[in-house]
Amino acid sequence: MFCNHPLNKLPEHLPTLNIEGLTVAYRQNGRWLEAVRDVSLHIQPGEIYGLVGESGSGKTTLALAVLRYLGQYGMILQGKIELNGKNLLDLQPAEMRKIWGREMAYLPQNSQSALNPTLRVGDQIAEILHYQLDMGMKRAQRRAVDHLREVNIADPERVASSYPHQLSGGMQQRALIAMALCSNPTLLILDEPTTNLDVTTQAAILELLVELISQRQTAALYITHNLAVVAQMCQRVGVMYAGVMLEEAAAASLFAKPLHPYTHGMLSSLPRLGEGKASARLQSIGGQSPPPGQLTSGCVFQPRCPLAIEVCSENPALSSPSAGRHIRCHRWEAILKGEISLPTAPGMESPGRMEASDKEVALSLEGVAVRYPLRRTPLDILRREPGRSVRAVDELDLVIASGQTFGLVGESGSGKTSLARAILGVADRTEGKMELLGAPLPAQLSSRKRETLRRVQIVFQNSEEALNPYLTVEEILLRPLVTLLGLSRQEARDRVPELLRAVRLPAAYAVRLPTQLSGGEKQRVAIGRAFAARPDLLVCDEPVSALDVSVQASILNLLCDLQVENRSSLLFISHDLAVVGYLADVIGVIYLGQLVEIANADDLFKPPFHPYTEALLTAVPTLETQSRQKGIILSGEIPSPTEKPGGCPFHTRCPRLVGEICKTQAPPWQRREGSSKRYRCHIPWMELQAAQGKLANGEIQAG
Amino acid sequence: MRREADSLTLFAQNGAAPGRGRRLLSSLRRLYAVPSAAFGATIVIVFLALAIIGPLIAPYEANQQEFQDARQAPSKAHWFGTDHLGRDVFSRVLLGASEVLWLSGAGTLLAVLCGTGIGLTSGYLGGWVDELVMRLFDSLLALPALLLALLMLGAIGTSVTSVLFVILVVYTPIVARVVRSAVLSIKTRGFVEVARLQGESLGWILFREILPLVLPTLAVETALRFSYSIFLVASLGFLGVGVQPPSPNWGLMVKEARQSVSLTPWALYYPVAAISLLVISVNLMADGLKRVLQSPVE
Amino acid sequence: MNTYRLIRDRGAIAVVIVLVVLLVSACAGVGSPQPAPATQTQEQVVPSEAVLESEGVLRVAMQPIVQADPAFISSDSEVLVANHVYDYLVDIDPSSNVIPRLAVDWKVQDGGLTYVFKLAEGVTFHDGSRLSAEDVVWTFNRLRDQALELPTADLYSNISTIEASGELEVTFRLKQPNPFFLYDLSDNHALVLKANTQDAASNFNGTGPFKVARYSPEDRILLEANGDYFIPDLPKLAEIEIIFFNDENAAVDALRGGQVDLVMRMSTALYTSLQDEPGIVTTDIPTNGFDLVRLRSDRTPGDDPRIIQALKLATDREAILQLVQQGYGAVGRDSPIGPMYTQYYSEAFPLPARDVEAARQLLREAGYPDGMELTLHTPDTGGRPDLAVVLKEQWAEAGINVQVSVEPESVYYGDNGWLEVDLGITGWGSRPYPQFYLDVMLTCDAVWNESHFCDAEFDSLAITAGTSLDEVQQAEAYHKIQQILIERGPVIIPYFFAQFAAIRDQFQGFELKAFAGRTDFRAVSLRK
Repeated sequence: MFCNHPLNKLPEHLPTLNIEGLTVAYRQNGRWLEAVRDVSLHIQPGEIYGLVGESGSGKTTLALAVLRYLGQYGMILQGKIELNGKNLLDLQPAEMRKIWGREMAYLPQNSQSALNPTLRVGDQIAEILHYQLDMGMKRAQRRAVDHLREVNIADPERVASSYPHQLSGGMQQRALIAMALCSNPTLLILDEPTTNLDVTTQAAILELLVELISQRQTAALYITHNLAVVAQMCQRVGVMYAGVMLEEAAAASLFAKPLHPYTHGMLSSLPRLGEGKASARLQSIGGQSPPPGQLTSGCVFQPRCPLAIEVCSENPALSSPSAGRHIRCHRWEAILKGEISLPTAPGMESPGRMEASDKEVALSLEGVAVRYPLRRTPLDILRREPGRSVRAVDELDLVIASGQTFGLVGESGSGKTSLARAILGVADRTEGKMELLGAPLPAQLSSRKRETLRRVQIVFQNSEEALNPYLTVEEILLRPLVTLLGLSRQEARDRVPELLRAVRLPAAYAVRLPTQLSGGEKQRVAIGRAFAARPDLLVCDEPVSALDVSVQASILNLLCDLQVENRSSLLFISHDLAVVGYLADVIGVIYLGQLVEIANADDLFKPPFHPYTEALLTAVPTLETQSRQKGIILSGEIPSPTEKPGGCPFHTRCPRLVGEICKTQAPPWQRREGSSKRYRCHIPWMELQAAQGKLANGEIQAG
Repeated sequence: MRREADSLTLFAQNGAAPGRGRRLLSSLRRLYAVPSAAFGATIVIVFLALAIIGPLIAPYEANQQEFQDARQAPSKAHWFGTDHLGRDVFSRVLLGASEVLWLSGAGTLLAVLCGTGIGLTSGYLGGWVDELVMRLFDSLLALPALLLALLMLGAIGTSVTSVLFVILVVYTPIVARVVRSAVLSIKTRGFVEVARLQGESLGWILFREILPLVLPTLAVETALRFSYSIFLVASLGFLGVGVQPPSPNWGLMVKEARQSVSLTPWALYYPVAAISLLVISVNLMADGLKRVLQSPVE
Repeated sequence: MNTYRLIRDRGAIAVVIVLVVLLVSACAGVGSPQPAPATQTQEQVVPSEAVLESEGVLRVAMQPIVQADPAFISSDSEVLVANHVYDYLVDIDPSSNVIPRLAVDWKVQDGGLTYVFKLAEGVTFHDGSRLSAEDVVWTFNRLRDQALELPTADLYSNISTIEASGELEVTFRLKQPNPFFLYDLSDNHALVLKANTQDAASNFNGTGPFKVARYSPEDRILLEANGDYFIPDLPKLAEIEIIFFNDENAAVDALRGGQVDLVMRMSTALYTSLQDEPGIVTTDIPTNGFDLVRLRSDRTPGDDPRIIQALKLATDREAILQLVQQGYGAVGRDSPIGPMYTQYYSEAFPLPARDVEAARQLLREAGYPDGMELTLHTPDTGGRPDLAVVLKEQWAEAGINVQVSVEPESVYYGDNGWLEVDLGITGWGSRPYPQFYLDVMLTCDAVWNESHFCDAEFDSLAITAGTSLDEVQQAEAYHKIQQILIERGPVIIPYFFAQFAAIRDQFQGFELKAFAGRTDFRAVSLRK
């Protein structure tokens, strides 16, 4: 969708960046551990090279090695890094400093920490111009504004004179891009530049990056774990695993026909947009990535490879099936010829879908509002003004049927987590009527009975946060049995192996501490704990977004299985439409504390869409590398709940604004016979459907 | 799914969970990997050992006065010399170790226990309880520790119990603040919320969920408070409040020797050296503890 | 750990180190303000035309002065300044004899009720006016005026009239005979001012050997020789510069470093340390100042006289003198009448030697077969805590276990708490005659009868000693009092202090007095 490059344009002149046989090691506990092993790659001017890998694969180490910024514990053991023909490894630190910012720029993931909070944004850019390009400070400051304008900041003067904290995340990222590009570097290294951003903002930033890079013919090394982003952005892709480059190819051919079992496994473990759990069970790669630097003989992927044979215990050589394509696998030829087939997603047993009975309601919310009181200033108290508050969730109605999975989608700040907290009873102030299984659900946790507590449990996004690092797995799992089911410690202890088995963990894990578990295993323990007391409603707040793709699939599968076994309802909160689409029976889209669209999973991806849903859908990068019609790029960011717009809350960003009515009147629910979908918009069903017709031609369905 | 389980089982075999004892041992080993901390910890251990076996190896009694031997420079008979009253300085320094360590150790322990309890509760409950406790502590902290100590000793009279009480009052607010700020960041973490959702009791949440995470901070803080307590005990001795002569309190020894520094400088230098060495060692140890305990494990 | 925290933690260690260094340096006395170098003071010397024979500057380290009005002075330094700016009517020499000063001669008449003084001729005040008998009359009337409530009002309440019986003759009439009246007239405060002086605290208009040339409070006071002094050839020095030191360690350091020439009053340890210092002459003289240990005799356990006797027997006075006073001063005989009072002091009645077994025996008899527990209270000044610690050890041998309780002096003497405790240590200053101690400390109705001692025989002897004009009878009464105090007195006086001074060896004629402030610099001169 972003890339309009000729695929067969092969490198003919000197590459901007050329890495050959690079091996990087870190010193830890007195040993050198190789984090990057024998990696070679080159990037041409104007080319975006995607480096994909899970956490710990060595991709960031590679970037830091190119920057010569490994720190005192890192060392380049061998290899060559050439920038425009110069070997960077021969340079002195002083010479290297001249290269930074001038020839090479780095765009980090975390814009918060990359910007100096005490300096105005304009001054930070001007400083680079001043020191790197010897520009006068006055002139540099004027140029800084121009640079901000170049990254499509509408009001560059204001942004230049702002401090970083006054800017939104997207704006900060734009400012960082302006900083990185202001000295017109020949190489731009981007390390997960959009990972912390909302999908709509991400789409805008990616578009901007593609535009700027092709305009300036910068060579770009794009590091990410997100395969879809790579598919959208990059001409060529390298797949790293455990410090080794397993496969490298042009993006189109890689995604069309992955040759390495690992690449294949990753691609098939991703839920595709619009694909539900009824149609296919997600394929997952067993096991987990080895810790960085673990020395293995033979193919690094061999322990997890479904196609591993005897020869795989030897280190595979780098082969080149076709021009520009490299692979490190003993079995690529067999795979290419189709002699052996990789297990594919469809055809596997599909997780059961519970028959949701319409009559039995697990959870019903009526007019629920969650308010966060704002601090009253002394002046307010003097004037006897009532304390003001922010409505994070506003008059929301919601029904979750027994056994149903309700997916809740929205950007950060949309109120989805506040809603979850209200249901859990830990929100500050909750109004409205909440019922659980027909009985009133008290808003405050302290007034809930033990039985009610048992009925509602949670799985958090971040398993680091969710598990107490000082309690053993056994202790974690038996607590809900003791407190919620009233079992004795011994009885509870006896049931721990059963719980571990349910979340597919070996019984020996009982004595482990969370720090001795991988991310996926931690999430399994968290899920096991949540299901231990057989809750009727499980709230899952982004349970897989912190996990690597290969692990994510198995966790999603586990959630499905356990839900069926326990006959629980699930409130599944995510920003990832594909994941929600895969798991949920009913999906609600939330914006500024209000649901704007509700539909069954199958219906959601059919038009008409609420304009916000539409924007979300088109902004999600997919694995399609072919260019497609431009998505809807939303202007601006989600407004703060303190300044909620009147009328339709979405009118400030809506690309399909009808007129004054949107700003003044709250839109009605639009619905139609024969569809489970309803949405809140002033545009009537048929009209919206006609306008969005193109999308209706199945183009959203990813291949 | 089957494959997955198998590979997990495989993985499980290569790492059994080490016990708590082994973790403590590994912490110690890592502490000794920091040279300055190793030095500090060694000296502290030596002092502790001396405090315990001091009475057995001290060549003289703390208050044994030999008036013929008064004001002797360090010699074979009197390693650190004798003071103006003919008492053996080496024996006094040695026997003083147990008093200083006992007083400051017990005082620190009391303050840490009290401060931890208050900090945990106040931080976790928040609201007006927290506000009240913290404002109260603020007002205590507004006074310099030594001044506060002197004021209190003036009010309650000087005795060993008073000194313990003073250390308790002076350092409880500081410990409580440190614990409270740690609690504030911990109490919003998921597992605390989960514990609440599981209907855990306040005691369980405070002591099983939150306290273990505060422990590293607390260990460092305890070591720091310990060093300050040693200094406070010595200072109070030096100012002549808290402990009474002829106690071999190092601070009191400094005070007494100060009068005759020109005649018996050794009687001054050795207790001063003991105070400095111990305080610096405890500080180095605290510094090392901080590096070991507050950095990510492996 | 980020850099900030690293710095902060290092900072904590640094603070500790700094504190320790400060502690050490404070102990060594390095932290105290150093006086200005000697050269600076010499630049300030403004030679006076009148001074022809006087030469040399004596720089004296002393405590800062607070009071300058002679009626209120009390500290060494205040008295020292006043003693050189003004003159006494009569003075006391280092052997406690009354000697002439402004009064060249006197007669005692009417059985000790009338004193007639003849004043020196040619005495002028610093403002040039002549001294007359009226000035003396005005001075003593002021000092005894009950309405003014001056510290001397009580002392002179026995005076009935004072009159100028001639131009240079003053007659005092007393209500009762007072054998010590001449001593009273030489009281520290009894400096002769010009009649009708209004601002005695600031105008320094005396007749004395030196005039105030410059006074910088808290820093120093510069005295220059009075060329018109009524005694020819005196003073011999051109200037005395009194430099104020709060800390005696610093003062001694300054003496060592040559910034000052004379230090009076210092701790025994400092004095000992100066013994072998080249270029410095040390002098010590015995005083009648002493530390006293007393047991309240009006309640248990002190109401049994055997207890105080046991304590006395368990005390090794010689060892105490050696340890606490490093052998300077004199061993005490449990009476405030010390060897300095040559005419009253007696060793005729023997002081029992130390006998631990006898002490134990006495305790057994008194009903303490297993020893006893006592708390010994002491102020935190001087050698008193050391005395307490040494006594604790000595008494322990006799089974008397003492808990030492050291209190700040201001606390101990505040609110008369010191009069309340059973067993306590008190320091007493040196007086020119011994009657004072008996009257304020040991008679039944004495104001500071800290031991609550009451003995009829003692009281009548004290009256005899205090009123008899018969010197033999008086001396006999004092001797008997010393015997009573050894036999049944409530106090242990283990030692008398020595007064110390150290002066640079280029000066001669320095004669230290028991009360350092009364030391006379008139005859001090540069060694030729």
